[in-house]
Amino acid sequence: MDSPEPPPRPPLRTLLVRNRKRTVLGMDPQQVIKYFFGLNASTAVIVLVLIMLFLLREGIDFLPTYRNELVTYRRAGLEFCDIIDKPLKEHQSLSSSLRQSVSGSLDTLGKTARDRRDAAFLLKNQAEEKATQQRETLEQALEQAPPPAADKLDILRREQQKAAAVAAASLVYPDLFTAAEKQQLQTEFAALTPEVTDLPPFLQTLAADFTAKDHEARTKFEALVTAQEEFEEAPEGLQEVLDELKEHAQETKEKADEFHVLETNRQRLLEAAAKAKNADEKASLTEEAEASVAEPVNLDERTKELTARAGELREQLENYVKAAEKASASLPQEAGTSAATTMLADVRAKLPVHVQEMRDAALQLDQWRSDKPVSMISVIAAFFFGSQWITNSSWQDFFGFVPLLTGSLVIALIAILIATPISVIAAIYTNQFASEREKEIIKPIIEFIQAIPSVVLGFIGISLVGNLIKDFSEVSWLQWVPGFPIQERLNMFNAGCLLAFMAVPTMFSLSEDALNNVPRAYIDASDALGATKLQTVFRVIVPAGISGILSAILLGLGRVIGETMVVLLVAGNRIAIPDFSAGPGVIFQPAHTLTGIIAQELGEVSRGSSHWQALFMVGIVLFAISLLVNWCARAVARRFEPHKA
Amino acid sequence: MNPVPTAENPFAGDNSGIQKRETAARWALRVGSYIVVIITLAIMLHIFIKGAPVTFQSKWPFVNTQFLTELPSQLHVIEDKQGNHYETGVNGADAIKKQLGDNFRSEKTIAYSGGGILGPIVGTALLVIVSVGVALFLGVACAIYLSEYAKHGKFLEMVRLAILNLAGVPSVVFGLFGLGAFVLTAPVFVDVPADRSVFAIPLGFTTLSFEGWDTCVLSGGFTLAFVILPVIITASEQCLQAVPQGFRETSMALGATRWQTIRYSVLPFATPGILTSSILGIARAAGETAPIMFTAALAFKDKLPWQKDLPPLPADASIFAHWEQSVSRFLGIFTESVQALPYHIYTLAAKIPQNEYSERAQYGSVFVFLVLVASLAASSVLLRKRLRAKYRW
Repeated sequence: MDSPEPPPRPPLRTLLVRNRKRTVLGMDPQQVIKYFFGLNASTAVIVLVLIMLFLLREGIDFLPTYRNELVTYRRAGLEFCDIIDKPLKEHQSLSSSLRQSVSGSLDTLGKTARDRRDAAFLLKNQAEEKATQQRETLEQALEQAPPPAADKLDILRREQQKAAAVAAASLVYPDLFTAAEKQQLQTEFAALTPEVTDLPPFLQTLAADFTAKDHEARTKFEALVTAQEEFEEAPEGLQEVLDELKEHAQETKEKADEFHVLETNRQRLLEAAAKAKNADEKASLTEEAEASVAEPVNLDERTKELTARAGELREQLENYVKAAEKASASLPQEAGTSAATTMLADVRAKLPVHVQEMRDAALQLDQWRSDKPVSMISVIAAFFFGSQWITNSSWQDFFGFVPLLTGSLVIALIAILIATPISVIAAIYTNQFASEREKEIIKPIIEFIQAIPSVVLGFIGISLVGNLIKDFSEVSWLQWVPGFPIQERLNMFNAGCLLAFMAVPTMFSLSEDALNNVPRAYIDASDALGATKLQTVFRVIVPAGISGILSAILLGLGRVIGETMVVLLVAGNRIAIPDFSAGPGVIFQPAHTLTGIIAQELGEVSRGSSHWQALFMVGIVLFAISLLVNWCARAVARRFEPHKA
Repeated sequence: MNPVPTAENPFAGDNSGIQKRETAARWALRVGSYIVVIITLAIMLHIFIKGAPVTFQSKWPFVNTQFLTELPSQLHVIEDKQGNHYETGVNGADAIKKQLGDNFRSEKTIAYSGGGILGPIVGTALLVIVSVGVALFLGVACAIYLSEYAKHGKFLEMVRLAILNLAGVPSVVFGLFGLGAFVLTAPVFVDVPADRSVFAIPLGFTTLSFEGWDTCVLSGGFTLAFVILPVIITASEQCLQAVPQGFRETSMALGATRWQTIRYSVLPFATPGILTSSILGIARAAGETAPIMFTAALAFKDKLPWQKDLPPLPADASIFAHWEQSVSRFLGIFTESVQALPYHIYTLAAKIPQNEYSERAQYGSVFVFLVLVASLAASSVLLRKRLRAKYRW
């Protein structure tokens, strides 16, 4: 049998399907799909690199910009003035402590008299206010150019009298006054009319009483009072000279800045002119560039004018130091009350230091050179170790990083100290002791905390926690706690509490995972040896899971340092290094943070200014910190990994 | 004589002290863990008590529609001479003043506290749509690579490390990144590049200029997308890993290619899980404030994103006749800056003084916001539970 001829294969089909594989861009489609997903997977890496790049692009110019600013600061002589001005600021705080000490002392004698006088005058104001409508009508009537008819005035007067009497009767008279005196006050207030401007007799007596007492007190504490007055007036001469110098320096700086701006503008115009294709355009740009020429400031000349007055400045400084020393010598040991004495002792201790600082400043004046170069290292140091973050100042902007860093660290420390025990305890309990039912309550609720947006917690901090802490701090039997009663509702402790609350879920779930991962054999072995449950938990399970717990704490720390909204809303936003001399009570002071400063200030600065760049620098540091914390957490987890059986 | 047998076990030591200690320690731990639970519940209760009266009402329809459907505005508080206070919006103030006449005493205005919170809700919704769209695309693709394609090696390690680190980057740094990258440098098609453009690629009919998208929904959405990317990647990868290995092997044994395997034997079983987990991403994206502060959010805006002063489309033709314009107007929504709920709460908490009148807006927004976020998170958890029960391999 003849088999039929097999039909010839269509050549086109062969070409397309059989012999050659389908390709996309010369690659196997499977390969293409794989690369597509691989590319997407690398997004994480790319984003991380991009974050770094963009932060650096905006921030890296900070160092040269800041250096230029510091050079101007030095060359224009602002630094010269600050040598004296900075230590002189201490004078204000010393002087105010002294003033408080004096008023505290004077109060010992004059307080009752003053209180009585103040209370009486306050009452008088209240009485007048309550009858204010009738008073005003009467006053208006009296002031009218043709005075109204006498009977009309009489009516008004009577109405006013009635209102005044009602007002006087409705007042609450404090117990500073005896019953007779209260009566007296009431009659006097009832008789108040706008037509009599003299004070009623009893009020006059009260005022006179106070003056007499005050005088008596002033004679008693004469030494203290005179010393305080002398000290207060001591820097007047120095301040005068300094102010003149400061004005001069500022003017120099402004001129230099103006020149700088115009000069850069001119350069830009010239560049544009060089690029311009059109001849007309070129001409107009060049012309514009020529117009923006500014006169360069001779900085050296102007600073010489400053340094020329150094002698005068030094002389005034010597006068001030002498006056301060004299005041310090004549300060008595004792003040009127124990609080005042403590304050006085404090001032007595600080005064010699202050005087010494002023003397050192005088020596520095000689060594100061306006043309000393500003090295890059000193600029870096000024950023990383500078203790002032001053922006938008008319004098000089400083970008010192330390106040922000300390704020962030103290808050993070508080948060971690609170969150660690709570979350570890909760993890141990749910993992080892809790019944299934309890687990079903505790775990979802703690994990739910993660879903609460941080801005809501910040709001809770302002509206609820702040007031709670403040009320607590005013409870009398809690006064032994350092820092109580607190001054500010929004402070580092408040922020720390809320951040601890935020960090709990992270730390809880990671710690629980760590406890879960402890090999079963460890627990069985411990049970077999007859250990109780508690012994097993604390001597076997927790030590075996410690690496996981530690890395959980570190990751919690990372979360706390990077958190923005809570600290921005709750930490109080005072840019200053917290006063650590207050002891543990320091946690109740407000502070500012690395994250908070970016969120608060970035919206208000113009792009490319030194302030903008400084904020991006802070961002770079934050980014570095977060990478470091992550790295540490992983290193810890590896280092303490239990040897799995 | 035999000793009298006692009921006690003669071998047992006296362990009453140990017993007591065990119980005490157990109770201490229990109290410690319940503290967190109680604090959480207390905070929720506080917000509920203060915020629910603003959002709900005792009359039909039981929800304060005015608060949910009006834009934020200034609140005017007018006091008359009897000491009565009238709270009203901008428009009502004049009418009440006229009505009071001589009886009028004083007027206070409190910024942002009047009206409702529709603007912030819409803004947050737009931001979430953009960010979740972007993050789901990138995140799921990344997870497919990690779970299905990747072999152990340098690249895989690098990607995993990057994801871990990305999860730890502070949100405000993301904000800075979004500002630098999307607001100031992202590429746009323009006819004439602006001065600030980093570089421009002429394409003939138009120019691709790297000059940024300005503060808008798009910038904010992309920034948020990268904030939630690690969450989405991790969750999606877990879901993919949960699909049994046997499914893949069977499919491959039948001669399917790798992509066919993924497409027909892995993704269908992983998708529900991925979607539920991504709800958690939505909750996170909706809750973040710092990344959108400089990239999308405005403190105050009296218009919704689609209310622009544009000439109306000619009414005569059908909508398709002007499809080009319609599309560009629709896209225009995403190039507007918006109010967002978290930023609105920040403004209410930080920029205006706390008093009895501002409380309404504050607690109302916080309550609505928390209910939104919490219900998202809760539904994610519940759905996941149900899915687990359904797919039991």
